[in-house]
Amino acid sequence: MTKIIIDGKEYDLDPNLTLLQACEAAGKEIPRFCFHERLSIAGNCRMCLVEVRMGGRPGPKPVASCAQQLRDLPPVKEGQPLHEIVTGSPTVKKAREGVMEFLLINHPLDCPICDQGGECDLQDQAMAYGHDKLERFKENKRAVTEKNMGPLVKTIMTRCIHCTRCVRFAAEVAGVDEIGAIGRGEDMEITTYLEKAVTSELSGNIIDLCPVGALTSKPYAFNARPWELKKIESIDVMDALGANIRIDARGREVMRILPRNNDDVNEEWISDKTRFVWDGLKRQRLDRPYVRKDGKLTEADWPEAFAAIAARFATTKPERMAAIVGDLADAESIKALKDLMTALGVVNLDCRQDGAKIGLAPDGTRGPRAGYLFNSGIASVEAADALLLIGTNPRMEAPVLNARIRKAWLRGNLNIARLGPPADLNYPVCELGNNPADLIAIADGRHAAFETLKSAKHPMLIIGMGALARPDGAAVLAACAKIASATGMIGPEGEAGWNGFNLLHTAAARVAALDLGFLPGQGGRDTAGIVAGAGKGEIDTLFLLGADEIDTRALGKAFVIYLGSHGDKGAHRADIILPGAAYTEKPGTYVNIEGRVQRANRASFPPGEAKEDWTILRALSEVLGRKLPYDSLAQLREAMASDAPHVAQLDKAPGFPPADPAIWRAIGTAGPIDNAHPFVYPISDFYLTNPIARASATLAECSRSSAGRPLASAAE
Amino acid sequence: MRLLGRLFQLLFTWWNGATIGTLWTISRTGQLVGEDEQGNRYYQQRGGSRRWVVYNGYADASRVPPEWHPWLHHTLKEPPTLAPPKVKPWEKEHVPNMTGTPFAYRPPGSLAGTGARARGTGDYEAWKP
Amino acid sequence: MLADKDRIFQNLYGFQDWRLAGARKRGIWDGTKAILEKGPDAIVEEMKKSGLRGRGGAGFPTGLKWSFMPKQSDGRPSYLVVNADESEPGTCKDREILRHDPHTLIEGCLVAGFAMRAVAAFIYIRGEFIREREHMEEAVAEAYAAGLIGKNNVHGYDFDVIVHHGAGAYICGEETALIESLEGKKGMPRLKPPFPANVGLYGCPTTVNNVESIAVAPTILRRGAAWFAALGRPNNTGTKLFCISGHVNKPCNVEEEMGIPLRELIDRHAGGVRGGWDNLLAVIPGGSSVPLLPKSICDTVLMDFDSLRDVQSGLGTAAVIVMDKSTDIVRAIARLSYFYKHESCGQCTPCREGTGWMWRVMTRLVKGEAEVEEIDLLLEVTKQVEGHTICALGDAAAWPIQGLIRHFRPELERRIAQKRGAKPAIAAE
Repeated sequence: MTKIIIDGKEYDLDPNLTLLQACEAAGKEIPRFCFHERLSIAGNCRMCLVEVRMGGRPGPKPVASCAQQLRDLPPVKEGQPLHEIVTGSPTVKKAREGVMEFLLINHPLDCPICDQGGECDLQDQAMAYGHDKLERFKENKRAVTEKNMGPLVKTIMTRCIHCTRCVRFAAEVAGVDEIGAIGRGEDMEITTYLEKAVTSELSGNIIDLCPVGALTSKPYAFNARPWELKKIESIDVMDALGANIRIDARGREVMRILPRNNDDVNEEWISDKTRFVWDGLKRQRLDRPYVRKDGKLTEADWPEAFAAIAARFATTKPERMAAIVGDLADAESIKALKDLMTALGVVNLDCRQDGAKIGLAPDGTRGPRAGYLFNSGIASVEAADALLLIGTNPRMEAPVLNARIRKAWLRGNLNIARLGPPADLNYPVCELGNNPADLIAIADGRHAAFETLKSAKHPMLIIGMGALARPDGAAVLAACAKIASATGMIGPEGEAGWNGFNLLHTAAARVAALDLGFLPGQGGRDTAGIVAGAGKGEIDTLFLLGADEIDTRALGKAFVIYLGSHGDKGAHRADIILPGAAYTEKPGTYVNIEGRVQRANRASFPPGEAKEDWTILRALSEVLGRKLPYDSLAQLREAMASDAPHVAQLDKAPGFPPADPAIWRAIGTAGPIDNAHPFVYPISDFYLTNPIARASATLAECSRSSAGRPLASAAE
Repeated sequence: MRLLGRLFQLLFTWWNGATIGTLWTISRTGQLVGEDEQGNRYYQQRGGSRRWVVYNGYADASRVPPEWHPWLHHTLKEPPTLAPPKVKPWEKEHVPNMTGTPFAYRPPGSLAGTGARARGTGDYEAWKP
Repeated sequence: MLADKDRIFQNLYGFQDWRLAGARKRGIWDGTKAILEKGPDAIVEEMKKSGLRGRGGAGFPTGLKWSFMPKQSDGRPSYLVVNADESEPGTCKDREILRHDPHTLIEGCLVAGFAMRAVAAFIYIRGEFIREREHMEEAVAEAYAAGLIGKNNVHGYDFDVIVHHGAGAYICGEETALIESLEGKKGMPRLKPPFPANVGLYGCPTTVNNVESIAVAPTILRRGAAWFAALGRPNNTGTKLFCISGHVNKPCNVEEEMGIPLRELIDRHAGGVRGGWDNLLAVIPGGSSVPLLPKSICDTVLMDFDSLRDVQSGLGTAAVIVMDKSTDIVRAIARLSYFYKHESCGQCTPCREGTGWMWRVMTRLVKGEAEVEEIDLLLEVTKQVEGHTICALGDAAAWPIQGLIRHFRPELERRIAQKRGAKPAIAAE
């Protein structure tokens, strides 16, 4: 600890803090533009100047406080007073006013037409630290031509203050060296390589990073002002990471989506799909019930739709009924659907649309929770020193998690290998080929990767759905569990423990559905069985809760009830459509890959006659004569908690599960692995993975402009 | 009686100009800097560490005109009496905040205004089978 | 005046052979092994005693700089980087060394590298120096062939010398920008701390020295620190290469003792000011980045670090730019402002925005198209740039203008008044 005086008061602080952080710890605000906690230090805006008095004497010149650590200060000489940081002296004030004036002389000051207006660092700091001698600059202002940065990022480069946050983000976090500065002096311009779109799925974050209005959101351009937006904290469902987001809505309309800071989950990044999906919330909406009459879907009202369902259910035996949960469902509606189906005696339930062989023990009972979680936790990726990716392309399946892996790799000795088809990740990977049977070799210690994992201190596996969503998925899972236990990946429980057995889901609803046991009951069919059964006429009635990723054309003559928010494949095939709420329109509980339970809030109301999903199921249950025992969301959540107690523990990851061998033997089913079929990644087009994303024009444009670039995975 | 009412006002109602106590304090520590068109008087503590306004009539912060606003908030060092701001030909007269009065702004379609509301356009595109 | 026997650079004018054979005749590479046998610490001590101050402009004691290098390696190699990116307007001393006496530099690299326990020296040559690079590369090849440097050389200290060619940016003469450029990145100064002696080239301990500082080291060590310290004045010892250009009868480079009076330097070596000493207007004594001196100061000032600092200027690179009374002094400084505007790297705000602003105001002042208050404004802008930037380029851009305003303010005011008088329309505004 270092003793230091800040503005007259003595503090005892960590010597690794920068002067800026030290001042913040002392409650002093230091203005800054280029400094950002999650990026490297550039020290080039010169806004954070402070005066450092050494030995009681005024410093020779002001110091950029972001660029110096407390331990960089020379040691205090015997008998002399401590060093003092002065944040408000006339020297400092003058220096900051000078820098602010320099920043403003070539800034267009077009705040009234700038999308950053109202949330602009330059605006705020100009108010607080600016000059009162206005209009001293009589020369012409610099104008810079706009740069093309693709369909997501709009550039007004005249406003740029050259803080290089975007450059550093692209190089360090996103891992693409495509943004840089050309020219020098006052002709320096930030641009992308050959003015091409940034080939990163995290590119939207540079919009947040830009302290001025130089980089703004293209789809959001001129749409709204920050002060007229209602800001709602929510959870993202575009991937299974559960990124914390803030939804900005005006009236009923979602205007934009921004990240929230959560160091354990998404730090402060979100993927482009998360950020720009909002226009999908306005298109292709199911806003009224539909009933198929004479082969044609016709508009109906709720009682009519319910009556049609009741009539159908009355004539169908429970073993000829089935229900499938989609990827975006919230835990509440899953619970309500499960209760309703159980009350009806239906056992053909599944939440694994992609057919992943997870969640069930070899004997068909529910498997241990550790068998389908990202057990190490997302933040612990940074602690790993050896990582084996099995049939997963994290860059497509969870871009923010991928940034975390890259961060760990950048920091030091993370050794990364992959078993699966080659695809471009933004860090070097040792390719082990794509022979699934090699997993058994690794588990038996007959493969070089075994030694690497065994000798590592914190080894880690990430198993993707590409490895599990196949007929021999259970055998793959068993082999992975064996690797985990054989290489000492499952360490002791608790704080100091470690568990590197990680599954990477692609669906936001999956973990919650597995937790609530939305799985085939005794003798029940799984997704493949249900679809095949429907095709063969063995399943008569099928209830889809937002399930669009199954092969809807193979459902034969089954009577399909679709409850969802968007008119996608499921709605087209449906015989009855019940309009539900999208994820921004309902309060919901989501469980992310690491088992962290998070709650989303409602940002706006569902369109037209659409309702929240669980209330629809509750109303339907009454018509069917199987009234669900809850009348309010609170009661439903209570019921959910009694089913799965951990679902009531909000924002808490389960921690490392115990190393009980019985648990690890119950994961997957040991068996032969089919080497003839190599792993295939589950996501072929990053931008179009769910009904909301497919309705979005922005993401469709992204998908078009990304076709043919390395971003598209090799699975295509 | 009327005189008594005025005295009462001067003693207690801080929202109508300054009370006697305030005026007394101002006379001791304050220094008159200037007066705007509406008769609001601007003071600063001797030495200039604090700045304040005594309203001519009802106290309403939005009555401070734009030329005095930055000085009052320590954005500018010089008061407009010493450094008058340049008035651009397109600048409109300052109007205090009228919210809560009959002159309040009503957006088109407001029920309190004309009452006739423009037909809403759908803010989403419905799916059609 | 410096005696011929005390000259370190005996082939400054290239009248003799610059190759190894000629260099050996002038005593270079003579007894180098004996110098190295004294050991690194003794060499550093000797350098400190000699009082040699860095010849690149800042005047930091060279021996002290070498002593900052780690004595014990923590696994990282140490490097010596020679700054041959000589781009300061008016300065042309290093190129003569590179062209005509390259072996003094190579020998210096070996000695200095040995003293700071470096494994290699990188000589970063300015992009525009073509012939200099050719000579340097050939000289290095000769030294390798003769076993003077390289693996298993005759001196018993494995040492490599690598010649690197820059791309012609002034900012790459700044030590950390030079390191960045050497690493293949954009030449932009780094933040200090960490200092190069701790984290420098490729993250390893590095010392960056000027060509002249390194090239004089072997001779100092051969002839002894006392000899060098006896020349010049206390704290400003030794000999120095002066580059005299501008309105003199015989512009030249010359090696002279430190502390020689400016007038003597110009009169004796450069053939005097054009039109006589009384025709002198001003002198920039240390390359474009130091404030100019009017004639009244030039009459008496001595040419060394401390004397020039006392008259609010600096020795810089000792590039004396002489301007007689035919000079448009405002235009001359405005041209320097343009140079700094053009060469600013654009990294940090005050320099990026300030240099352009200063140049534009200067351009108007040349013609007098400005208000009198703008002179104060300009001065304030230079103060806003000075000391607020990452590297010293901001200071260098500010100082010439400060010097101009300090000494020639009446001239600026005269031009403004004249312009007003000529055009009453403006005055009426």
